[in-house]
Amino acid sequence: MIPVLDELATLLTETAADAAEGWDLAGEIPVDVLRGLGAKGVLCAEVRPEFGGLGLSGLDNGRLAAHANSLCGSLRSVMTSQGMAAWTIQRFGTRALREEYLSRLTGGALAAVAFSEADAGSDLSAMTTEVRRDGDDMIVDGVKTWITAAAYADLVVVFGRHEGGGAVAVVPVTAPGVRVEPVPSPMGCRAAGHSTVVLDSVRVPPQNVLAVPGQSLTLLTSIALTYGRLSVAWGCVGILRACLAAAAGHARTREQFGTPLARHQLVARHLTDLYAAERIATQMCEHASRAWDGRSPGLVMDAILAKYVAAGNAARGAASAVQVLASAGARDGHVVARAYRDAKLMEIIEGSTEICQLTLAEHALAVAS
Amino acid sequence: MTEPASAELTVETIEEKLQKFLESRTKQTWDPDADLFKLGVVSSLFAMELVVFVESTFGVFVEGPDLVLDNFRTVRSMSALVMRLRPGDPGA
Repeated sequence: MIPVLDELATLLTETAADAAEGWDLAGEIPVDVLRGLGAKGVLCAEVRPEFGGLGLSGLDNGRLAAHANSLCGSLRSVMTSQGMAAWTIQRFGTRALREEYLSRLTGGALAAVAFSEADAGSDLSAMTTEVRRDGDDMIVDGVKTWITAAAYADLVVVFGRHEGGGAVAVVPVTAPGVRVEPVPSPMGCRAAGHSTVVLDSVRVPPQNVLAVPGQSLTLLTSIALTYGRLSVAWGCVGILRACLAAAAGHARTREQFGTPLARHQLVARHLTDLYAAERIATQMCEHASRAWDGRSPGLVMDAILAKYVAAGNAARGAASAVQVLASAGARDGHVVARAYRDAKLMEIIEGSTEICQLTLAEHALAVAS
Repeated sequence: MTEPASAELTVETIEEKLQKFLESRTKQTWDPDADLFKLGVVSSLFAMELVVFVESTFGVFVEGPDLVLDNFRTVRSMSALVMRLRPGDPGA
């Protein structure tokens, strides 16, 4: 790791290693902790230095996400949201919008990204949130569900319909008409601030809306979600690393039938599978991030493939880790218990396993000769 | 495979590269004015691949209001975008 990445990883370790269990049990990360990390640029570390960011490569930013998730899945989820908000603004924003908001996102302000709705989950094209012009202002109307990090957010990057196409609105949560209602007791990533965001005729200045005639809602969401998929895939690598460390540590020291668990062959197989799962997920993610950094068109499918493989591996790997730890890990807040709950959600968000499978099948049909 | 955009880039050479890429990925040929998305042959995910292909092949950044689906709708609209964005363009 290059020094800056090392330093950032150390900062995350010092912040989260001892606190993550408590955050999970409380269902909350103290917002000052998140603001502190945000002000150091860690939450969206890929933002370019010209906008106040750390300018990490996609590969290093991914490695940072993996490290964060090895400590705390909720913290990594917040990083994914912040990074995706920054990426969306960087790609689609005007120069003025980028300068204003990217500097805020690297200066301690927190952001969430709002795609999903009650009737628009896997099928984002069914979203009904509307962004419309009203005199000199823009109005945003809709209800967004399961919005990661919204409970902490100062800004919500809202995707919606606009004049037959799509648009993105940067909405301050202090604007009249915005209500943020935390999801009670999420199953996983419990401290990630998942919330319903109600936008009741919210008026925003037109410069906060990225609306270009002829824009496609699906192009907007695809580009934003590609960042999210890579970040989630790397997060799954972190889940696997935490599980491998916990399972190996336990299997080395815990004895049953007069011999360490690791010498029991059926336990050893769990360790092998976890190790293979972590290595495969890591290499898929490295490959996709290199395509991202090298601006190779293959990055789109590589990101979906990495997310699909890493999430499945994390869900199976976390289940194996709980099995190896058994009663030692079977309580809420324990690293493998958190991993088990969090990993299942990774098979759902940023493109469910089944949506990834359909997309990859289409791709295989198109390219296989 | 990235090559710096240069004065030698012409509409013809840009369109040739685009058509070659499209043919390799869709197994069909495309007239410069054909709407890639109209017939459903090209998905929105593929549109993003096109964005990245245009950026990396012609050395341009497509950001802000330029990053709009209509700019990628036809081979011709993409070549026009590249000609407008390439370094050294007086309008850039």
